Amino acid sequence: MSTLIYSHAACSRHDTGPGHPESAARLSAVLEALKGPGFEGLAWREAPEASMEQLTRLHPLDYVERVLAAVPARGHVALDGDTVLSPGSGEAALRAAGAACAAVDAVLGGEARTAFCATRPPGHHAEPAISMGFCMFNNAAVAAFHALAAHGLTRVAVIDFDVHHGNGTQAAFLDRPDCQYLSSHQSPLYPGTGHRSEQGVGNIVNVPLAASSGSAEIRYAWSKQLEPALREFAPELIIVSAGFDAHYMDPLAGLNFTEDDYRWLTRKILAVAADCAGGRVVSMLEGGYNLEALGSCVAVHVQELQGAA
Amino acid sequence: MFEFLQYRVEDVMTPDPVTVTPQTRLRELEALFESHDFNGVPVVGDDHHLLGVVTKYDLLRAFGLSTQSIVPHYDDIMEQTAESVMTADPITVTPDLPLSRLLQLLLDRHNKSFPVTREGRLLGIVAREDVLKALRRATQHGEVGP
Repeated sequence: MSTLIYSHAACSRHDTGPGHPESAARLSAVLEALKGPGFEGLAWREAPEASMEQLTRLHPLDYVERVLAAVPARGHVALDGDTVLSPGSGEAALRAAGAACAAVDAVLGGEARTAFCATRPPGHHAEPAISMGFCMFNNAAVAAFHALAAHGLTRVAVIDFDVHHGNGTQAAFLDRPDCQYLSSHQSPLYPGTGHRSEQGVGNIVNVPLAASSGSAEIRYAWSKQLEPALREFAPELIIVSAGFDAHYMDPLAGLNFTEDDYRWLTRKILAVAADCAGGRVVSMLEGGYNLEALGSCVAVHVQELQGAA
Repeated sequence: MFEFLQYRVEDVMTPDPVTVTPQTRLRELEALFESHDFNGVPVVGDDHHLLGVVTKYDLLRAFGLSTQSIVPHYDDIMEQTAESVMTADPITVTPDLPLSRLLQLLLDRHNKSFPVTREGRLLGIVAREDVLKALRRATQHGEVGP
């Protein structure tokens, strides 16, 4: 089976303004990497727009309406200091969330075992009723709730290795024993959440990493904390919030992951998926702001997904 | 041989140093650092009353990554005031402090300079370079002396 890649041209029309690090150039770097040699076997899919039903399983209807109503007819509007909208942002956000749901449908429907959503804006900072940190809708959490509600799953895990803590996904899962959220992230750093003591109903596992942490620290954290918790939860589907800003060249953070660390992490996630989730992994792009590093990290991540497909 | 022990802060400090006010913008502060060869500048209020010290480190720190926003808003930060980044109530020294004591303070605190005050009013700045100069002066005699 091929690994599915969900993307859409609309995701490039989410324009955050000159010099903004969460730019359309990020998606170009990702797409260029995935169109290179070795990726001929990928199966490309157009990302559909998420439905209101899918979005409102997580986000209150008035929040969804408010965010979409804030999309300007021209120019830019800032939802907060970080999160900037342009005329194309509404469709991009709907397709980013829609891609995640479609990937869940395809993987649970047996069309593929693994999928990657090459989409933006990212999602993991978006709380049920708060947009922040470049994020409008929480793509990973929307996808998890979709897997539970539309496919009858009972346990879905989201693994988030973005350098920033996914406060939005954590907030979505706080009182949901059917969802597990596992995050490694730099601390202290934006958004300031993700302390070890934040455990939800025993379904949240936060592993804060000090600035300058790299291969040794993340591999130790995975082996001693993240993997055991994930195996104990035994998810039927693993969703990955794949941010690549813990890379040593990223301008917005201070961790020192390498391409090889992302390869290693992806393999480890796939191994758990093979043991308890029928190999089913739906991954989606979150952060990563050094274009060169982003391209090479996505390439190794998808290579591994492909190897397991 | 022991001339250095006779020196006091007032013998080597820079009197009436360049100062800024609490409302000075970081943009102006950066320009000040650009045009002068010092690492920090005293922040003074009315009547030359010392309120704080702001250094290049403080200025850089304002632009560091934080928990407040995912990306620093560089232009906005340049418009912040010295007051928002300064070290308030800094360690000060008096003009009559022996220079040997000041040297020890520089070592213990890792500071590059200290404001010199009397009853809260700024009189000068004394820096590592001033102590080094004094050491050279105090030991030049030793080479030719008894």
